Amino acid sequence: MKSILLNRLMQAVMVAWGVGTLTFIFMRTLPGDMAYRIAAGRYGQDNVTAEAAELVRQELNLDVSPWLAYLNWLWDLVQLNFGTSLISGAPVIHEVQHQLGHSLGLAFVAILLSAIIAFPLGVLSGMRVGGLFDRCLLIISALLRAQPVFVIGLLLILLFAVNWRIFPVAGFGTPAHIVLPALALALVLASVSSRVIRDSTHRVIHSSFYTFARVKGLSASQTFARHGLRNLSVPVVAFMGIQLVGLIEGIVMVESLFSWPGIGHGLAHAIFSRDVPMIQGTALMMGLIFVCLNTVIDIACYQLDPRGRLQ
Amino acid sequence: MSLVTLRLRPSQWVGAAMILSLLIFALLEAWLHSGHYAKQNLANYLMMPNVQEWLGTDQFGRSMMARMGSAIRLSFLLSFFCVLTSVLLGSFLGVMAGWYGGWIDRVLNWVVNILMALPGLILVLLLAAILPGSFLMLYFAISLVLWLEYYRVVRALTQVAVSSPQMEASRQLGFGRFYLFKRHIWPSLQSSVLTLAAFGAANSILALASLGFIYVGLQPPVAELGLMVVELLPYFDEAPWILMQPLVAIFMLVLGFNLLAGKAK
Amino acid sequence: MTPSIEVNELSIFVGQQCLVESLSLRLMQGTPLTILGQTGSGKSLLAQAIMGLLPEEMSLQGEILYEGQPLLTLPKAKRQALWGRALAMLPQEPWHALDPVMKSQQQVAEVFELVGGLEEEQAQDKAGQALAEMGLAPAKDKIPSQLSGGMAQRLAFLAATAAGGDLILADEPTKGLDYSRRDQIVALLQSRLVNGSLLTITHDVDVARQLGGELIVMCQGQVVEQGDAATILAHPQADYTRQLLAAEPSSWNKVSARTQSSAEPIVTLDKVALSRGGNRLFSDLSFQLHAGEILGIAGDSGTGKSSLGDLLLGHLQPDQGRIRYAETYKRHQLLKLYQDPPAAFSPHIPLGRLLQEVIDLHGLDAAQIPRLMTRLKLSEGLLSRTALEVSGGELQRIALLRILLLKPVLLFADEPTSRLDLISAQRIMELLVEVAREEGCALVLVSHDPILVEKVCDQVIRIA
Repeated sequence: MKSILLNRLMQAVMVAWGVGTLTFIFMRTLPGDMAYRIAAGRYGQDNVTAEAAELVRQELNLDVSPWLAYLNWLWDLVQLNFGTSLISGAPVIHEVQHQLGHSLGLAFVAILLSAIIAFPLGVLSGMRVGGLFDRCLLIISALLRAQPVFVIGLLLILLFAVNWRIFPVAGFGTPAHIVLPALALALVLASVSSRVIRDSTHRVIHSSFYTFARVKGLSASQTFARHGLRNLSVPVVAFMGIQLVGLIEGIVMVESLFSWPGIGHGLAHAIFSRDVPMIQGTALMMGLIFVCLNTVIDIACYQLDPRGRLQ
Repeated sequence: MSLVTLRLRPSQWVGAAMILSLLIFALLEAWLHSGHYAKQNLANYLMMPNVQEWLGTDQFGRSMMARMGSAIRLSFLLSFFCVLTSVLLGSFLGVMAGWYGGWIDRVLNWVVNILMALPGLILVLLLAAILPGSFLMLYFAISLVLWLEYYRVVRALTQVAVSSPQMEASRQLGFGRFYLFKRHIWPSLQSSVLTLAAFGAANSILALASLGFIYVGLQPPVAELGLMVVELLPYFDEAPWILMQPLVAIFMLVLGFNLLAGKAK
Repeated sequence: MTPSIEVNELSIFVGQQCLVESLSLRLMQGTPLTILGQTGSGKSLLAQAIMGLLPEEMSLQGEILYEGQPLLTLPKAKRQALWGRALAMLPQEPWHALDPVMKSQQQVAEVFELVGGLEEEQAQDKAGQALAEMGLAPAKDKIPSQLSGGMAQRLAFLAATAAGGDLILADEPTKGLDYSRRDQIVALLQSRLVNGSLLTITHDVDVARQLGGELIVMCQGQVVEQGDAATILAHPQADYTRQLLAAEPSSWNKVSARTQSSAEPIVTLDKVALSRGGNRLFSDLSFQLHAGEILGIAGDSGTGKSSLGDLLLGHLQPDQGRIRYAETYKRHQLLKLYQDPPAAFSPHIPLGRLLQEVIDLHGLDAAQIPRLMTRLKLSEGLLSRTALEVSGGELQRIALLRILLLKPVLLFADEPTSRLDLISAQRIMELLVEVAREEGCALVLVSHDPILVEKVCDQVIRIA
């Protein structure tokens, strides 16, 4: 348990270092005088004067060597001092805090929806592998997997928002706004996880321990509840860890498509407008969400499977 | 020893056929079609397919035939280089780490763990941001993420092969490294590497399109599938036919490679 | 008295192929019935047929009666209602039959609770008691992967019988167990005979002998011999039974003693000690090994037999003591014969090609191959096949051939026949010993079977 947390803490450090380094390189490669750019971010494009730039230069020690600047940059990062957005001028930390809540909400609803979709479908098709239901599901899942998440989102918009006008096209505000983006993400997740659940179900119900539980005298439903569920969830939960990468990537795409004001949208927007402090803040948050969800899954695996604990 | 035993299942043939037909379209277009992907003609605003323009024109009157051909060639080109690089790099380093272990393994694992700390697309996004619109940077960034998968799989398979009694028996009999690789390690890698290569191609095409879609990848007027989707999106009411083209191309490319890859990981 | 189980003219088919042919038997309470046969004789199908667990693609004819009541015409639900409550089936491989993520005690307690209708707390108490009686108290909070084979089999026994079934179907209950553990399980089965019935399926002649009662000998789906166990085992009538009994290590002829030579020993171990993972495997081990000499190593699994092999072959260094060789041998002069023959060959490559590669590598004389093929009683055509296309016995002989090509001075054979059936095991063992003598190669033979080792070896070392 301790080693899980320690590992994930290490990962968080790596994330911070990686994001910090990349954004630092980014900052350095930006054309023009950095002091002018920062001053423009602070006081607005029209109010930048040589004096203002000079003040910024002195205040931020911009004349130091690149290595020292790099260390300063990382030190600011450690203190969560991300600076202000070059575009809006607001402190990055405030913007990111707002976005974080929205992204986590979206991720939560999406994971929940995907579980509601994938679990029953996966278990049902795993019970009768090779049957009609199983084959239909295989085709649907293959077709879904061949779509980038933004195409699925687009199709949902065209169908539910434009054609039938059941849900709003994009934006944020009412609970109805979350349905389509969450569904787009959930479909992508479920298309893969339903297959994993199916394989796992198939393996478990054909295993000799499953048969033996029946032979001991347990009924079919008792056997499934006592020996099926837990054993089939072990690989499924472990697989969720792999799927997280897809979830995070999906969040960036879906938020951009639906103008959902989360971290992913913020990140894409910041990159487009070359707003380095915002890029750093949002990428860091994205990475940390990734680490946190990974930790949750590690702990779930640890709780579910005593075999892993013995090593 | 045949390097690759080509025994495909029906679904893999379907996948191969889809990819091949797109490839032929893209090559024929370059060879026979005279249109240029960036040449505007505002008089031809969003034309339906007709005798001159088989696939119609976009909002700037540019030939969709030329744009689709160019975009599909771009996707193939990028995925080809990315997969080639990451297969070579990932397999070579994976075999080294799995076979020799020791410090090589430790150093490589350290590098891999750093790269895997961030979700792949975020890393690609950040790198792409540094040099916007650069094909080379996209190639570098996508390969950097893609080789990790090969490395991990190849390393694990190599470790199994190296500790197998089969290989131990051959080692006892006095065989050298080349023989051990040829007889024991390569046969156990072969099918997985090819499967991963097909998945890798699908993933790099997806990544390129995704970046294009959020305006972070290649910049206009380049014809790129994701970028085309987002540019044509406002006109879907007037010309759904035009918007469908890049969507169908992405779908066929990714499905084709996924089918070719065969059973999922 | 009604037989507990009566089987009349039972035949089992897969498509047109007959796997078990018209088998009849009567199992009475208090008299154990044992079915003896090699792997592939169709004997395990009987237990599955009685339970109603045959794979769907199999069909059956004949009838099975449980206490006079026909089973095959019974609706599925009613047959399943007998599981555990009346028919208790011991699984073949207990490690796989136990839930890998559930604690030992719970696997028994849940039966008391869900089938026996006890409150959860009482069920736990009762299970705890039952575990303690079996000497499993220390294992109650462990999961199957932490249990030894013997413990897992006892736990599976408790779980299988917890619902009160007094007719026990034991399908290969001693498979994979060490010698000493095997006797415990047999005693456990016998203890249930007072109030119940026991049908045991085994490949192990010794188990059949210890259980006594009635015996059915099966070969390739057919009953070869049927009757009182003691009588059949003492005076076998059928050819197959005779062969089977003759192939038992205890009836082998003792290998003729080695002609003593004054030559220097090939390898000398002097007070050698070895530990792996913090456990001392053995210490103060000393012996000498001469050309053509056969050394047996016996002991239960996990006692370091294989590690001793690694020491002799120079793959490991001892913690204490010394290993001295007569001269510095090359790696390919100290060789190993594997337990599982297919594990030692690249699949998909013809065996002849693999042998040729060895010959090319060391510049050997290819004319040796036909000579050795004849010596090892192998037919020419085998070499054009791959490792997957020949039987285990043939493959093990080809492995031996490949080793002999290199004229080894020392051969370490790690349970070389334990994956083979009794009759081919005996043939290989005979050949191995003869050939080692002829070629002047020192042979180290590892086996879990002390009798086998006793019969074929010049000196025996036991590791505890």
